[in-house]
Amino acid sequence: MENKFAIETVNLKKTYKGKSHPTLNGLSLRIPYGSLFGLLAPNGAGKTTAINIICGLRKYDSGKVFVDGHDQSDGMKAIKPLLGLVPQDIALFPTLTAYENLKILGGLYGIKKSVLEERIDQLLELFDLSASRHSYINRFSGGMKRRVNMIAGMLHAPGILILDEPTVGVDAQSRMMILEKLTEINRSGTTILFISHYLEEAEHICNEVAFMDDGSVICQGSPADLIRAYTPCDSMESIYLKLTGKRMRDTQ
Amino acid sequence: MRKFRYLLYKDYLLLKRDVAGLLLMFLMPAILVVLMALLQESTFQSIADVSVPMMLVNHDKGELGSTIDREVEASGIFKITRDIDGSIPTLEELEKEVASSRYVIGIYIPENTTESIRRNVARYVLATFSGATDLPPMDNVNFVVFVDPTTKASFYATIMSTLKEKTQKIEFTYIMNEITRQVNEISPIPISTLGFAGEQVHIDIRDARLQGKDLVPNPVQHNIPAWSLFAIFFVVISLSGSIIRERQDGSFSRLLTMPCSYTEYLLSKAFTFIVVCLIQFGLMLLIGVFVMPLFGLDSLNLGTSPLALILLALSAAVSAIGYGIAIGNIANTYHQSSVFGAISVVIMAAIGGIWIPTFIMSEPMRKIGMLSPLHWGLSGFLDVFLLDAGVRAVLPECGVMLLFGLVCFAIAVSFNYRRRLDV
Repeated sequence: MENKFAIETVNLKKTYKGKSHPTLNGLSLRIPYGSLFGLLAPNGAGKTTAINIICGLRKYDSGKVFVDGHDQSDGMKAIKPLLGLVPQDIALFPTLTAYENLKILGGLYGIKKSVLEERIDQLLELFDLSASRHSYINRFSGGMKRRVNMIAGMLHAPGILILDEPTVGVDAQSRMMILEKLTEINRSGTTILFISHYLEEAEHICNEVAFMDDGSVICQGSPADLIRAYTPCDSMESIYLKLTGKRMRDTQ
Repeated sequence: MRKFRYLLYKDYLLLKRDVAGLLLMFLMPAILVVLMALLQESTFQSIADVSVPMMLVNHDKGELGSTIDREVEASGIFKITRDIDGSIPTLEELEKEVASSRYVIGIYIPENTTESIRRNVARYVLATFSGATDLPPMDNVNFVVFVDPTTKASFYATIMSTLKEKTQKIEFTYIMNEITRQVNEISPIPISTLGFAGEQVHIDIRDARLQGKDLVPNPVQHNIPAWSLFAIFFVVISLSGSIIRERQDGSFSRLLTMPCSYTEYLLSKAFTFIVVCLIQFGLMLLIGVFVMPLFGLDSLNLGTSPLALILLALSAAVSAIGYGIAIGNIANTYHQSSVFGAISVVIMAAIGGIWIPTFIMSEPMRKIGMLSPLHWGLSGFLDVFLLDAGVRAVLPECGVMLLFGLVCFAIAVSFNYRRRLDV
């Protein structure tokens, strides 16, 4: 049977040591190939845990994870080259230049030197960072750091790009640019898993979203379909509040 | 291999860019080594409360040998052992015991010492009464005192002056009594003893050496390796800090989502910092050889086995790096790692004999001190610098240090695995 999903989790469960409440409580998520998929949830709902498990950074208690049809329990060797992670933290080496950071991180994918250099040039150009290529990361603005952080996850041209809050703490111009580039990258065939607190961003760029609460998916569909299904809600934010309520989750 | 090269390049660049950290890593140990060598040269160390391990071999069946034995013990300074597994050691066995650092001092009183002195006194008395102008030939009476060359210079001087004072006093008293006794046997008329030299016994002080080796010990030989080891272990703070920073800023997690294993990540860190440690140690040796003479101290003698030296430095570096990696993985914050790292290294140095010789420690403390890799490192370096030891002689010390490093490394991997993956 042909695999239709870039990422699929089946009844995924995870309870952290020392915690009685499960962080993931039967998460079943299906992210189709070529989609720009928004995963939306309150703080503490288990988004980061889900990403960490998909990327092999955490073990899960039960369930299944498939990436491009590869069962994660068989190991991460086949999965790692397929995934590009853009973490919420600026996971770069601050005392190195943008170019040095990208060269090292790209080098770890085993990309040939000449190909890597060409790819770095292209991406720096795409994100308007060519002029700052030899500046140290710790001298960059927040928006520039975010853009380099994104480039670092895309150096090996992954089939699946996972972005955890890529627009946090940046100005409107940088945010606009990041969203535009993500749409362009998605159009070129890359599947994108986009995690954000900014619901209007998801509504604007995602072609499919899933709302997650208490460790599982509570609804999934295209923004337009969801707005129709939850009339009289007229935006993703109103659907989100209707489904998740006003109770704080991260104080549990 | 290409991936590993990129990891090495990353760690090299991160080190190179941290100019202040690099200066601290090389400049501070250099200052530490020079200052401590100079300070310890001039510091007088009291041994009043010390129980110095001594082996006393008395082959003399007479009164002088037993008097020396009794008086040395009564001084309370020495903890005396007289046999090896019930048998009285020979001169060679005694030297070997001291050279192996089991005893700080070994005294050898040869056979018939009392008898030889008695004969010398008799000859002198007879010559005096017969009106001879020249003194008759006397029997040689030689005590041999072996000293562990790894004993710090200040202790050495104090112990030796105390020992000389004791033995000469006993010897003089004994000879005067003997002269009086023998004169009284011949004539009731009192005679002068001015022409008779009191120092009939020659104390031959030797540094205990392993067979065929000939190096002259000096304070630089003790201090440079001790403080260099101490400095090498301070790499723990820099290394553990680098691991924690990468974990906190997310770059560690990012690396693990790439085709890079945790083992490769750690090996790259270990390799880079081992090179730093070796350069650091080389620098300390150069200071010992070329800079210390500028301050009026002896030049460091590097021994005759560069291979043993490299092996020891490498083993010390591995143990320090393993320890740093363990702290970097166990500590939650940079603050925790720097405070714990610094204090634990000072503690390991203290119990390992870097500051005070282990022989003045109590027996339980001496045993605890053996847990410190600095103890083994120092012991190995002193063997090379003072006893001219080769590769084979330092293999046990290297083995213990490597084992320490590997155990730390295993603890780090296990701890990281459990925490990172939450299993």
